[in-house]
Amino acid sequence: MQNVEPQLTKRFGVKDGHTLKVFLETGGYSSLKNLFAKKPAEVIEEVKASGLKGRGGAGFSCGMKWSFVPQTTGKPIYLAVNADEGEPGTFTDNYMLMNDPHLLLEGILCACYAINSHAAYIYVRGEFYGQIQRLNAAIDEARKAGYLGKDIQGSGFDLEVTVHRGAGAYICGEETGLLESLEGKPGKPRIKPPFPAVVGLFGCPTIVNNVKTLASVPWIIANGAAAYAAIGTKESTGTHLFGLSGHVNQTGYWEMPFGLPVLEFIEKYGKGVKGGRLKAVIPGGSSCPVLTAEECADLALSYESMRDHKTMFGTGCAIVMNEHTDMAKVLKNLTRFYSHESCGQCTPCREGTAWEDRLMRKILEGEATTQELGMMLEIADNMEGKTICVLAAALAMPVRSFIQKFRADFEKYCKPSISAVPEAIS
Amino acid sequence: MAKIKIDGKELEVPDGTNVLEAVLSNGLHLEHFCYHSYLPVAGNCRTCMVEIEGPKGPLLTIGCNTKVAEGMVIHTDTPKAKTAQKSALEMLLLDHPLDCPVCDKAGECKLQNQYMEYGLYDFRRGVPHYFKGGKAEDIGEHIILDQERCVLCTRCIRFVDEIPKSSELGIVGRGYESKITIFPDARLDNPYSGNVTDICPVGALTLKEVRFKQRVWFLKKAESICPGCSRGCNITVEHNRGRIYRFMPRENAELNKTWICDEGRFSFDHFQENRVTGVRLGHSEKGLQEALHQLSEILSGMGREEVAGLASPWAALEDNFILKKLFEKKFDVKNLVAPIWAAKGGADNLLKLAEKYPNEQGLKLLGIPPDDQGFWDRMEKGAFKAVIVMNQDPFGQDEERAKKAYGRVKVLVVLSVHKTKTVEQAGMVFPVRAFTEKSGTFVNATGRLQRFRQAVEPENPDVMESSLWLCRLAGALQVEGFDFEDTPSIFNAMAKETEALKGLTFQSLPSTGKVLGMAPIAPEPFQGVKAQPNVRGKAKA
Ligand SMILES: Cc1cc2nc3c(=O)[nH]c(=O)nc-3n(C[C@H](O)[C@H](O)[C@H](O)COP(=O)(O)O)c2cc1C
Ligand code: SF4
Ligand code: SF4
Ligand code: SF4
Ligand code: FES
Repeated sequence: MQNVEPQLTKRFGVKDGHTLKVFLETGGYSSLKNLFAKKPAEVIEEVKASGLKGRGGAGFSCGMKWSFVPQTTGKPIYLAVNADEGEPGTFTDNYMLMNDPHLLLEGILCACYAINSHAAYIYVRGEFYGQIQRLNAAIDEARKAGYLGKDIQGSGFDLEVTVHRGAGAYICGEETGLLESLEGKPGKPRIKPPFPAVVGLFGCPTIVNNVKTLASVPWIIANGAAAYAAIGTKESTGTHLFGLSGHVNQTGYWEMPFGLPVLEFIEKYGKGVKGGRLKAVIPGGSSCPVLTAEECADLALSYESMRDHKTMFGTGCAIVMNEHTDMAKVLKNLTRFYSHESCGQCTPCREGTAWEDRLMRKILEGEATTQELGMMLEIADNMEGKTICVLAAALAMPVRSFIQKFRADFEKYCKPSISAVPEAIS
Repeated sequence: MAKIKIDGKELEVPDGTNVLEAVLSNGLHLEHFCYHSYLPVAGNCRTCMVEIEGPKGPLLTIGCNTKVAEGMVIHTDTPKAKTAQKSALEMLLLDHPLDCPVCDKAGECKLQNQYMEYGLYDFRRGVPHYFKGGKAEDIGEHIILDQERCVLCTRCIRFVDEIPKSSELGIVGRGYESKITIFPDARLDNPYSGNVTDICPVGALTLKEVRFKQRVWFLKKAESICPGCSRGCNITVEHNRGRIYRFMPRENAELNKTWICDEGRFSFDHFQENRVTGVRLGHSEKGLQEALHQLSEILSGMGREEVAGLASPWAALEDNFILKKLFEKKFDVKNLVAPIWAAKGGADNLLKLAEKYPNEQGLKLLGIPPDDQGFWDRMEKGAFKAVIVMNQDPFGQDEERAKKAYGRVKVLVVLSVHKTKTVEQAGMVFPVRAFTEKSGTFVNATGRLQRFRQAVEPENPDVMESSLWLCRLAGALQVEGFDFEDTPSIFNAMAKETEALKGLTFQSLPSTGKVLGMAPIAPEPFQGVKAQPNVRGKAKA
């Protein structure tokens, strides 16, 4: 693996690393010189060329997204920072906020300059109380030191950043659910089109970016797109905060370039599978299709490798399960989660997620036959791709992959299917 | 205009039309629940799934939120689209109580109808029913909510948000626990509340006034016009066996869209209550023939100038036309006036107007002047021996003045639908038909000539249309030119001799009326409603 300097975690573990003083001592805001020397459109081109992809789950090209903002509407343009971090198994954004809030602010400044926005909102998951305090303290410091507010560092560029505390709904992490929530409404995702880049917060053009996406930007501006693109793999450039949880001897998160084989990740960083042999890995948050141990053999931590294995990179936080894991129980956990978190607008999601959950319960109670398994697969098909946001798909994918890849775990709960039971003669 | 193809059929539809409108307004079919032509798109029911051909292959998407584009190729009937439509319906019905036998919506329920058209799958819930509860909640003066029947389409919410802007409704809870409800301490009592029951695709919202009264499949419908105010909203009068069960809004894109106010909606009972039922002379009931004969004798004995008449903004154009014609030919048309009693207020910037009568503009069109002080002075001085009052209630309006004025009138002849104070005072009373019992036309505040058709027939054949009664009287008085047998022929005769109606016939009048280009007496409806209706997609003929 390439040996590269840390970009995101440089100040993690550094005493007072979250303060502006230490931030500046350790190279903070060094991107600003390059930033203000460029035209906004050039910044967008630079980020496009870096290959930076969104870290929130969808993996869409960051620079490309910024370029969709119309600059001639006469309306204000907003940046909304997605710090809602609700995806099960995902837990790295909150460390970013805690350990290096100024890096996020620097990234916000770069992004706002590029898209010509003068107001950014950080939507933080309500439970992240300490992080919210850190963020607010950092914003105060930055404003006092002239890194926020009017005429930032003599550049003539103005920016205000506001922290908004969420109230604890997974769906408020979906970008349009987030915008609704920011506007003070229930977090129900909006139908697209129009896309938020065109009609977003308060009806104005808005970019929604994940915390780590933005935290990656200052390094690109300071060191150039080419240097960033040289790190990682061809399609997955740069570094990322990879997380590991579940049946490993050491859970945690590590920054490294993309491309490390998953098994090596588990062995080297997770210190091996705990309690037995590897059974399955959910690679990037619970919404991604699960992979069997065999499928993991040649799987790497990159967008393209995940895609080739018919799963998704997602958030880059893997959940590891050992051979004693009952996949039916795991899936029940997920059906419960998604049916509880569905916002309830779309028929296939509202009804489908709940139906899957009730079927899972029936299976675990030993009341089902394999017919119910077929039904679950069919319901998954009828949910995916038919809803306003992808929450429905985020359950459909696990349902399908769990049942198809670990069918025995489910069948052991099932009564023989009806046709196999001889009819009573009376 | 955009050239598009739907299921192989080539169409040219207006730009800005969405795919669902394009499908539905061209005689094709596509399942839908949440979409409504006059409300913003919500796109939440996910039943209007179509496949649209694209560079990357067909794209499965909802029709209601997809605007047509030049060359668009749309399929509603591919296996993928059909499965999506059917499965969304299956999910909508998953926990539905299926209490159709006791549900008032049965017969006009989108769930029922669309199950027959797009569903017809085998039932397979396979898990226990989830009961939402919330049976027959009283949420407003007129409205009952049956929570468990709701399919969460948000049509009612969008209506109260967009049209009356009263926002009493919302969804609480998340996922399968989502519930439509009224905000704490709120009541669904806005002046347009009844509309939510029309647009609710299922039986979740129903009207107290209509619940459990009649199965909708027994109801017959007559195209009509609400006479509640000068707006003249288009309605259908729905009836069975001579009884009216409800007024429903009838679409008129340029007028009331698909809405009516509660005042108009619930006026239906008003037309079947407190009615004048028989002919009365003095204190005794009489047959119509005999009474008319007596009246003609009385009137024949009076001078031309000695008879006055009150025309009416509540009466149809045809009634007022014949009354005027009779005065022209037999009496003195100078003595025919149309008092328009002071407006009662209650106007808003949506539909409701302060002018609580349907045909003021019709009087203007016919040139029947309003009353003036001179008219009443002359009556007080005893200038008139007889006064014919048609659909007016001068005693109800201003008893003092009426008593003074009519004190010296020998015969007060009253044609009336309802028992009024004037009827009590009258020497001769003739029952006439309400607008639900006859055909005719009104001209609304903005000068739109509109037709209403007869819904029910009065039990007593002596209850006549005012116009035809006047024709009979003219016959008895041996005045020529009144041998009309029905309203359409009166209208057509009137059109021939009235400049503003030239070339029109009763039969060919569009069902949404015709704007005559008169000076309006009120502003256009829906001032200040931001939501633009969706573009209707009727293909070019
Ligand atoms: C149900 C759901 C929940 C999501 N939750 C989060 C989240 O907590 N944090 C996040 O950054 N993105 C989340 N996303 C992804 C966002 O919709 C969006 O793609 C992302 O914030 C865009 O930022 P990026 O381009 O920088 O990745 C979620 C998506 C869905 C469908
Ligand atoms: S897919 Fe589910 S969570 Fe997303 S908008 Fe629809 S109902 Fe809400
Ligand atoms: S009550 Fe009726 S109109 Fe309102 S959301 Fe439910 S089904 Fe739709
Ligand atoms: S606004 Fe007037 S015409 Fe329309 S329904 Fe109400 S009363 Fe009738
Ligand atoms: S009618 Fe299109 S989604 Fe409901």
